[in-house]
Amino acid sequence: MDSTKKVIKLKVNGEAYEVAIKPRMTLLQLLRNELGLTGTKQACMDNSCGACTVIVDKMAVKSCSILAMQVNGKEITSVEGLASKDGKLSPLQESFLEHSAFQCGFCTPGKLMSSTAMLEEMPDPTEEDVRRDMEGNLCRCTGYVQYLEAIMDVVGKRKEAAK
Amino acid sequence: MSELSIVGKPLPRVDGKAKLTGRAIFTTDVVIPGMLHVKLLRSPLPHARIVSIDTSKAEKLPGVAAVITGKDTWGIRYGFVDTPNYPAEERPIAEDKVRFIGETVAAVVAVDPDTAEDALDLIEVDYDPIQPVFDPREAMKEGAPQIHGEITRNTSCAWEDWGVARKSHSFTPVNNVAANVLIAYGDVEKGFAEADYIREDHSRSPGTSHMAMEPHTMVASWDPFEEKLDVWMNHMAYELKRYWLHKTLGIPITKIRIHKTYVGGAFGGKAPCFDYEVIAGFLSRKLCKPVKIELTREEVFSSCRNSHRFDIDIKTGVKKDGTIVAQHCSVIVDAGAYKCSAPVAMFLSHAMCDSCLDRKNVRHEGVAVYTNKNFNFARRGHGAPQMRLAADSQYDQICEDLGLDPVEFLLKNLRKKGDVIPNGDRLDSYGLPEAIKKSAEAIGWKEKRGKQRDKNRGVGIGINGMFSGSGYWPFACTAIIRLNHDGTITLMEGDCEFGQGADTTYSQIAAEALGLTVGDVTLISSDSELCPMNYSNFLSGGMFVGGGAVYNAAMNLREKILAVAAEVMRAKPEEIDLKDKTAFLKSNPRRSYSFTDLMRFHIQKHMGDPLIGYGHKKAVPEIEFYPSLSRGTGRFTDAYGFTASTAEVEVDKETGRIRVLKIVVADDCGFEINSAGIRGQMISQAVQGMSDALYEEIMDDEGRILNPNLVDYEIPRAFDVPEIEVIDCSDYEPKGPFGAKEAGECARAAVISAVVNAIYDATGVRTMRIPVTPERMFNALKEHGK
Repeated sequence: MDSTKKVIKLKVNGEAYEVAIKPRMTLLQLLRNELGLTGTKQACMDNSCGACTVIVDKMAVKSCSILAMQVNGKEITSVEGLASKDGKLSPLQESFLEHSAFQCGFCTPGKLMSSTAMLEEMPDPTEEDVRRDMEGNLCRCTGYVQYLEAIMDVVGKRKEAAK
Repeated sequence: MSELSIVGKPLPRVDGKAKLTGRAIFTTDVVIPGMLHVKLLRSPLPHARIVSIDTSKAEKLPGVAAVITGKDTWGIRYGFVDTPNYPAEERPIAEDKVRFIGETVAAVVAVDPDTAEDALDLIEVDYDPIQPVFDPREAMKEGAPQIHGEITRNTSCAWEDWGVARKSHSFTPVNNVAANVLIAYGDVEKGFAEADYIREDHSRSPGTSHMAMEPHTMVASWDPFEEKLDVWMNHMAYELKRYWLHKTLGIPITKIRIHKTYVGGAFGGKAPCFDYEVIAGFLSRKLCKPVKIELTREEVFSSCRNSHRFDIDIKTGVKKDGTIVAQHCSVIVDAGAYKCSAPVAMFLSHAMCDSCLDRKNVRHEGVAVYTNKNFNFARRGHGAPQMRLAADSQYDQICEDLGLDPVEFLLKNLRKKGDVIPNGDRLDSYGLPEAIKKSAEAIGWKEKRGKQRDKNRGVGIGINGMFSGSGYWPFACTAIIRLNHDGTITLMEGDCEFGQGADTTYSQIAAEALGLTVGDVTLISSDSELCPMNYSNFLSGGMFVGGGAVYNAAMNLREKILAVAAEVMRAKPEEIDLKDKTAFLKSNPRRSYSFTDLMRFHIQKHMGDPLIGYGHKKAVPEIEFYPSLSRGTGRFTDAYGFTASTAEVEVDKETGRIRVLKIVVADDCGFEINSAGIRGQMISQAVQGMSDALYEEIMDDEGRILNPNLVDYEIPRAFDVPEIEVIDCSDYEPKGPFGAKEAGECARAAVISAVVNAIYDATGVRTMRIPVTPERMFNALKEHGK
């Protein structure tokens, strides 16, 4: 083995991995190149667009900006982990589909992960909260409106269900 | 087909599940075992002779497979405009000279991207700088440095290959002029002589980035045994890319296969041939290995195409009542180092806009000029946004000067439905009048225009017209629909899915025509080997031409199914309808046969024919080959899409910051095949248009781009988006599939003008240069003592 490599252990989408990595590898590179999870996308590489967002221990994190070493022992959820394995979409994914909340789809995985983490953290966000929270996810196609509607629809349905 | 049940509905996108679960394969996700990685060395100088390049150290770096320079690709030429009069001058790697900062001077292929990057540092290039020129007006002066010498041709151009017999010749630009256009009709001098009021203005639109989220990427894999190149790439229509790869690499066109990948946004910016594409193909073949090249965001800004900077002098003559009697536009297009689509852009800046208003006597002259900067291509509207900004802000000012209402002014000067406009195009559908009225009403025009300056608020209006494909040969598309044994269909159509929704809307069209659901359609799209001919997905021809071909193929299959059902049921085809994979008698729906049974019968009785539908459509049937770009004569398009947009803004006089409160987009797309998709297209353009008006500009200094990243090049974020209202003003287009035509490009230009005019209404200060940044607004207010 390459002597500069270090072994890290992590859980991704519920599955345990033990991987030998170079110290300068980012989490994004680990997911895409080592684990074959290409749903997470690279669009800027300077922490400005949010396309590479994943959830690390419940926190939305831009995976291009942290090293794979930093997630040693942590639990990661990427876009591949949102739907159930037998093909059932998450409520948020369903809502995105229903509201035509994406076009080219390249930034969509990042948006889904950011909004999934936000909905975990905030039980009852207002539209203003959602807009603020989603500020880190750039999109060139949609103009944002339909995916904000999709998120607010999930918030509304959740409130309805809690009644 | 009685009532429509599939088209006209906001059905979920067929690419949705793939895109929402991370399973959609984009080019960046393609990995082939043994794949090598390419990085490009870019010129640090805007204009220089290459004295020598030493690649020996780079070649020795462990992991490097090859290094190539212009010596390896010498003589290869390509270009978006490649005609007998204007031979192509782009090249994959600079040969003896670099012409802009970012031009490729060498390529390294190595085992991984890091090694390739490291090797770039070991290449030594000796440059001899030449005086550069950055401003088109300077570049046109006598004695300015000449960016190109004689442009010669060493391979045939598309015109010759496609049988348009004209003899090619070389071309030597004089004073850096890449191309001219002069379009005129009526009598402009007489028109101005009859005018009661004449106004002259200047407007400037900056270079902007398409900023598609997916950076440009390509994978090429040469099979030395089959002598075939497999390609996965960022494109908007594979047919042209495949043609260019064939021409530049000398590979037979059918020995190149472009595979389907989803494309992560395009907006025009992925359509032309790029240096890295030729290089990737070249290296894969040289090494007999798969190679991948992924550009960085900075490379996308500095070495892929951006939008054209336009300088426009516009002079308009009107009667007292606001009737336009003459207009003279003089357009300078900053082409950059290579002409690419600049000759087309200055033609389109006239052609698209001519559909909106009757200006009676028009002269439109343009010049495309080489400068030592990265060069440009179409961005969503291709020339129209720049021209509409000039025209619509001048109309707004004319109204202010003469005490007229801008909405009334536009309505007064409209063309009419059914009009044949000067080039011969007929406006069979023309939803612009309704769009103007409805957009004005929705923003509260009457109550607000000119009445909110005390609150620093204002409203403005803009309009636009856009082609539904054009007569550029062979702008035509074919579709094939196979009836399957279980009564479902397989649709083969070439259009690329880059977000616009082609996969979904084409499936809807085919399903509707055959009484099926979208779930009954298996789609094969965007693969050059599996799909029939496809030239439709640019100049907004996707729906009209590509969708039209699908419609024709579906109707062809429908006729065949009806014919066999008629034979089986001993009825007339017109007595039969199709629904739920069955054909049934309209008078007695219980008398029905399943598609499966009909197909079996047909195979049995008709020599094994399994029922295949075939359809095609040409963008403008009457055009033999090309319309004239330089004279603007000949038919342009068979149907125009139209938009009117209004906006309300609030200006903070202390800071110059402008807040958009609301944008209304009233659009005529003929018919909304997928209403959710159309709404998405309109919102998208509203936000892009707002962004153009207020934020976006590629800043450069001495040819170097100063903001080549997503931090310094600002685009709107979720928080910046105002209230957006979309109003459907569709006017049924008789030649379109179910009446549909252009939708994806028209609105952007109208929104830019609406926002800019609203700023005037709010402040009384006219800004005809975008983006209206806080700094520009603040200075303009100060200058006018406000």
